[in-house]
Amino acid sequence: MRSHKTIAAGVLAAALASTLAACGSSSSSSSSGTTASASSNGASSVVPAGYQSTVNESLAGKRGGTLQVLQESDFEHLDPGISYFALDYTVVFATQRPLYSNEPNSTAPTPDIASGSPEVSANNETVTVHLKEGIHFSPPVNREVTSADVAYAIERGANPNVANPYLTTYFDSIEGVPQAKGGPIKGIETPNKHEIVFHLTEPKGFFVAEALVLPLTAPVPKEYAEKFDNNKPSNYADYEVATGPYMLENNAQGKVLGIGYVPGKSATLVRNPNWSDKTDFRPAYLNEIDIKIGGSQPVIDRQVLEGTNVVQNEPVAQPAVQLAAEHYKSQMVLSPGGGNRYVSLDNKVGPFSNIDLRKAVWAELDRAALDRARGGDLVATVASHFIYPTIPGFEQAGSLTGPKGLDYNEHPEGDMTIAEKYMKLAGYSSGKYTGSSTIQVVGASSPPEKEDAEIVNQALKSLGFNTKLTLVELATMYAKYCDVPKEEIDVCPTVGWIADFADPQTVLNPTFNGKSIVATGNVNYGQVNVPTLNAAMAAAEVVKGREARAKAWGKIDDEIVEDAAAIPYDWETSPRLEGSDVHGVGMLWNEGCWDYSFTSLK
Amino acid sequence: MIRYIIRRLLWGVLLLIVVAALMFVLFRILPTGNPALLRAGRDPQPKLVKEIEVVLGLNKSLPTQFWDYLKEVFLHFKFGYSYYNQEEVRSLIAERLPATLSLTIGAALLWIVGGLGVGVISALRRHSLLDRFAMGTALVLISAPEFWLGLVFLYLFASDIGIVKILPGAGSYAGLTSDPWKWFTSLIMPWIVLASGSAAVFARLMRSSLGEAMKEDYIRTARAKGLPERHVARQGVRAAINPIVTLFGLEVGALLGGAILVEYVFNIPGIGELNYKAIQSSDFPVTQGTVLLASMFIILANIVVDVAYAYLDPRVRYS
Repeated sequence: MRSHKTIAAGVLAAALASTLAACGSSSSSSSSGTTASASSNGASSVVPAGYQSTVNESLAGKRGGTLQVLQESDFEHLDPGISYFALDYTVVFATQRPLYSNEPNSTAPTPDIASGSPEVSANNETVTVHLKEGIHFSPPVNREVTSADVAYAIERGANPNVANPYLTTYFDSIEGVPQAKGGPIKGIETPNKHEIVFHLTEPKGFFVAEALVLPLTAPVPKEYAEKFDNNKPSNYADYEVATGPYMLENNAQGKVLGIGYVPGKSATLVRNPNWSDKTDFRPAYLNEIDIKIGGSQPVIDRQVLEGTNVVQNEPVAQPAVQLAAEHYKSQMVLSPGGGNRYVSLDNKVGPFSNIDLRKAVWAELDRAALDRARGGDLVATVASHFIYPTIPGFEQAGSLTGPKGLDYNEHPEGDMTIAEKYMKLAGYSSGKYTGSSTIQVVGASSPPEKEDAEIVNQALKSLGFNTKLTLVELATMYAKYCDVPKEEIDVCPTVGWIADFADPQTVLNPTFNGKSIVATGNVNYGQVNVPTLNAAMAAAEVVKGREARAKAWGKIDDEIVEDAAAIPYDWETSPRLEGSDVHGVGMLWNEGCWDYSFTSLK
Repeated sequence: MIRYIIRRLLWGVLLLIVVAALMFVLFRILPTGNPALLRAGRDPQPKLVKEIEVVLGLNKSLPTQFWDYLKEVFLHFKFGYSYYNQEEVRSLIAERLPATLSLTIGAALLWIVGGLGVGVISALRRHSLLDRFAMGTALVLISAPEFWLGLVFLYLFASDIGIVKILPGAGSYAGLTSDPWKWFTSLIMPWIVLASGSAAVFARLMRSSLGEAMKEDYIRTARAKGLPERHVARQGVRAAINPIVTLFGLEVGALLGGAILVEYVFNIPGIGELNYKAIQSSDFPVTQGTVLLASMFIILANIVVDVAYAYLDPRVRYS
């Protein structure tokens, strides 16, 4: 619905079976000083040489100490049943353990409270997961986690008082989920205390299994949480218990609000006394994490670069990136996989329903200039297709250069000769647009979106289009214009997307499937509705196996590029800053946000 | 006088209802308006949006929603729940009010003492070197945006990122009861920055107002009677103070609603910062709550100013 800058949820995973095996077996050996290998998917290729990256960080660390965290924004939802944003995930994944998780510099799911890989039935309609024994909730609950706690965690997601934002998107094929209101779900069975089985109505077992890395699957004790979930809205987060190595500081009654979390002010993570490293791959070096919320980004960036025991945990302001690159290089970590960004063109109505006009704009657009406006190659790589580095399917979709043989995609700086060729193919013999339409371009008024919108507008003008450029606040750009099909905006120059977890379907299906188009909150911005493409996606949804899915969705990405349905221009890299004595470990799968369970003090 | 105050308070309540109504309507016609849509995630499913609307009470008619809201505000002093993190708005405001009060009261003391002192000296020594220097400085301070001035102070004097590391920097605020010394030292820079602009305005206003008063006939008479200049000046100040009191009341009232920029730069968890973040995230209940609070402070400040007139100026009487 919105820019991935603002929503930024993301659990990215891997494609290569070999990497999966390596990460899956690494267990709690991270303290031994090894460097975990990351799956490729182009992750390394977009980080400039000489910079630290989340792809190859060492996971070794020293035990003890308190880390200070400075972040301008507050958390949105720390309840694992609601949490959906990158910043929230930094706390949620240090305090909660879903069925599967990701090691910080790997994009492959690792069993977390699950004891092994999910078992997907041959017909792809049943998923069985076995749970580890000996995992306990933090005080005041204290008891052992069972499969019923996982079942309740998912069931409460359907409770309108909780209203999990992705339950129906990813788990709709579980029998009973579409009708669920918070009570037991027919398709979730718990045969014993350490086994949970998901029965599906469609053959989407593999995809559902991949989605089990989402925090909705972190166990919640029903007997404790139910009274909070009955409130409108649920206030379980004010009293939530943990299963991870850390917990939000609480009192004897379990109250977190005002103690371990003071909205807009602070959050304090302390060790969970009931956590055991024997059941977890996380080393949990730090004794405590003190998070200070608020302040201005430029001041925070300076405080971190010149400070000790401190990190910042949000996108870094551009001047600070430059400052760090010049003077504090060892204190900046770059994380590829920050999502894609593209120019959406209205495929349904108006001039850009003509494929050749779309190709002409693509050919003329200076995509390299768009990326420079965003900060250059430290934070952006010129995109040639939509599945971005770290996501399976990136290599299959053409890696850095994209599908072969498409001349309009071969010149990142733009090429007017090729653009004019497509203008002529569209019926404009002069090579310039001579129609009567005025192109509505709606962008955001803040940098760098403003600069990007102006560059796109200039490219349109150079092809002869009359344009009307409207610059509004970013949220308004989406809510009033780009998210609303009936507004029929011809060009939204700065939209983007980031995957919810490491499956290419989560990149392409919401944004280019005709079935995804809705009246409001629409994220298929260009109203792309190509029957063959929709059919290919329907077929790819039920494909089993990471490599097979990467291939199927990589091919779909090719088709979207061949259709010039939108113009990709940026694969984002996220920089993070750390104090001089901090060994920060960023989450490759979560925009490079620091992983508190692996970060340590030097 | 009591009857006058009661009447003003009742008008104040009516004004608050009007403000609440305006805010309510405004937020529902804004383009980013449907909070259920914002809460429903990136790919909002229509069914989920409807369910959230029911939980938030957004499925009711607008007049019903407004009536429910007014009842909660005026009968229970409740402002609803944050759309952003589902916390109770009343607690969020209560949590932050002490910081805003600390900031505003300290800065107000600073600017009233500094501003009036400089203004009186400038008025009594017009066109002197001291007057020119003071008024020149005042002009600079009036022109300097608080945000910029705050950053300059931090980069100069903050103990973490400053050149001369003498004062606690951004994010160092501690509550008065938890650590009084830290509270005091962490607010020195914010007080100076917040007070500087207002002190400059007050100095210029006092200079001009007192300058006029000192030309009045009764001042000439007082001098002719042989009263010491100190006593003469006191009479002049008393006559010149009324516009200052009006401005002071309004400024303090507005700042109690949140000194947004100073709170933001120095990371002081006050009402202004809360409001700023709420606006950024379209968190209407929080914005409504903070705006209503600010309106209430301004209304109260106006009443206090009007009452103060009666004591400061014997010619003013309310019936």
